[in-house]
Amino acid sequence: MQKKFLALFLSVIFIFTLVGCSGNNNESKESDQAQPPVEQVADDKVAAAEKILMDQLQPLPEFNQGEKIGILVITLANPYWATLKESYESAADELGVNVEVMAAPTEGDTKSQLETLMAMTAKDYQGLILSPVEPFNLVPGVVAANKKDIKVVNLGPGIDVNAVKEAGGKIDGRITVNFEEQGQRAAEYIVDKIGKDGGKVAIIQGIPGAGQSEGRTAGARKVFENTTGIELVSVQPGNWDRNTAYNITTNLLQAHPDIKGIFCCNDVMALAAADALTAAGKREGRIIFGVDFIDEAKEAIGTGKLDGSIAYSMDAYAKAGIILCLKTIQDMEVPQVNSPLEVVTKENIQEYQNWH
Amino acid sequence: MKPNIAQLLLGLVLCITVLLLSIASPFFMTWDNWRNILDQSALLVIIAIGMTFVIVTGAIDLSVGSVAALSGVCMAVAMHAGMAVATAILLGLAAGALVGTSNGLLISRLNLNPFIVTLGTMAVARGVALIITKGIPIYGFPAAFIWWGSGHIGALNPPILLAILITLLGALVLNQTKLGYYALALGGNEEALRRTGVAHQTYKLIIYVICGITAAIGGLVVTARLNTAEPLAGSMFELDAIAAVVLGGTDMKGGRGSIIGTVMACLLLGILRNGLTILSIPSYYQQLTIGIIILVAIIVSELRLKNAWEND
Repeated sequence: MQKKFLALFLSVIFIFTLVGCSGNNNESKESDQAQPPVEQVADDKVAAAEKILMDQLQPLPEFNQGEKIGILVITLANPYWATLKESYESAADELGVNVEVMAAPTEGDTKSQLETLMAMTAKDYQGLILSPVEPFNLVPGVVAANKKDIKVVNLGPGIDVNAVKEAGGKIDGRITVNFEEQGQRAAEYIVDKIGKDGGKVAIIQGIPGAGQSEGRTAGARKVFENTTGIELVSVQPGNWDRNTAYNITTNLLQAHPDIKGIFCCNDVMALAAADALTAAGKREGRIIFGVDFIDEAKEAIGTGKLDGSIAYSMDAYAKAGIILCLKTIQDMEVPQVNSPLEVVTKENIQEYQNWH
Repeated sequence: MKPNIAQLLLGLVLCITVLLLSIASPFFMTWDNWRNILDQSALLVIIAIGMTFVIVTGAIDLSVGSVAALSGVCMAVAMHAGMAVATAILLGLAAGALVGTSNGLLISRLNLNPFIVTLGTMAVARGVALIITKGIPIYGFPAAFIWWGSGHIGALNPPILLAILITLLGALVLNQTKLGYYALALGGNEEALRRTGVAHQTYKLIIYVICGITAAIGGLVVTARLNTAEPLAGSMFELDAIAAVVLGGTDMKGGRGSIIGTVMACLLLGILRNGLTILSIPSYYQQLTIGIIILVAIIVSELRLKNAWEND
């Protein structure tokens, strides 16, 4: 009987070690593979975006100092963040710094994301780059990082600055895209395509309260509400989730069979909306627009499944994030940095084939 | 003697895990990190202790995650309506107790299946939380409320102390009181208990109320810590709590359970999540590892039972 326990016990330890090892192996493999593409495939569009960002970041910090930076994204279960992770890793190789990218297990898991950050503050990072699930969940972690003199850069969705201040902490640098402008430019395209006759439109949001979701919704809402003939019939939270967005679209079609355009706050939801319309046989004549320009969206715009997406270069964005973090670590002054945006549609998709 | 083997084994796994992690990373064995682990495990401990009481009766409560969200939302709405922090917290706990009471009444008086009843109240509580907030998280609370999530009491904080307090209370009630004795008896042989003339329905009701209140305290901790009441908070809490209770050596069929085992299991899960993060292992592997550990624990537990039968 005791032998049996011993065997089982050892297998627990064995599994644990095995998982631990394979995890580490995978990571080093990923970063090996990530090395080459950075400069070779970069085309004019990416170079232009990168230049706009780099101009904002002058003067540049010193590179190849081997700084250790911890990066916390929202979830690797979303292709957007998974792609950004790769961009971070290739940019880190190029700039000669060490990065480790961590994430919450799922999109809405505010508690686990904070727990991951708290564990990261116990390590020897010199800087952290954080993208929070929502504006408040990482605040205690930012304060913990401040206490240990780890620089904190906020990339993408905003951490609430006032809440951080109230808790006695500070954010050292901030880089973002203008979310409101993303929503606005997508909505302008939809309105333009619907044309003079006007019609009904809807917005599928991300997680209500999340910075990128609220910003994009506000931008799109403003355009829709200020255009005569356009009627905004519904704004629904899709929680960034494919299945939720699919169901919302099906319900929307029931309530408003004559709907002409749907703006979704990310591509994953836009793809689901397109699928739902296709399944109902009602894709024809309706405009679906997403944000992020993930690989699946690139393909979908090419085949006409999706009408368009708002893009910004992940590689340039990630690289700028790391440079900004280096500047804070090297005690240089940091500006607020905005990433430039591109509207990608079936008319201009050809120019964006090498975009990343 | 026999129930102790599970806890001994768990303790051993816990020690080895700690040992391995401290060899693997220099950042693991620091007080800052241990405080993190305790802080993170506290929430699970609080909810899992309520769950232990339900599971020793041979039942299950799936509504705890939704109850945590609902009570957090109630506290938030009360505070934003200008109520004092203490009143708001009591109101939130009352919401938890209310859901617990409904669970208890439906299960004990109408003799309904606990799995289905709590599945229903899980959806009801979540739905009410969504309706109250219209799906939008509520932000920003008074400092006296946030203290419950991230304040300081010496080297510890309120969630950790709450967890310790609830552990002590839970162990006392389960091992030393009539309520604890009857809870175990309900799981062991409800019919026998009924025939001895014990008001078994009342005891059952009390147990679901306890579980509702611990879930609401969990809601207090998570809402205060994040300074946000989210209607979608606490999803999957029930599964984490059930996993911890079973991992701790409590029998899903009821009649046998241990508060200390539950606490050790919560710590093991907390240490694993923390350790895998410290080692920079991607979140995918974290889920895989934790899943495997739970499966192995159940296999061990079943084998032990079988052996116990054969030896008898």
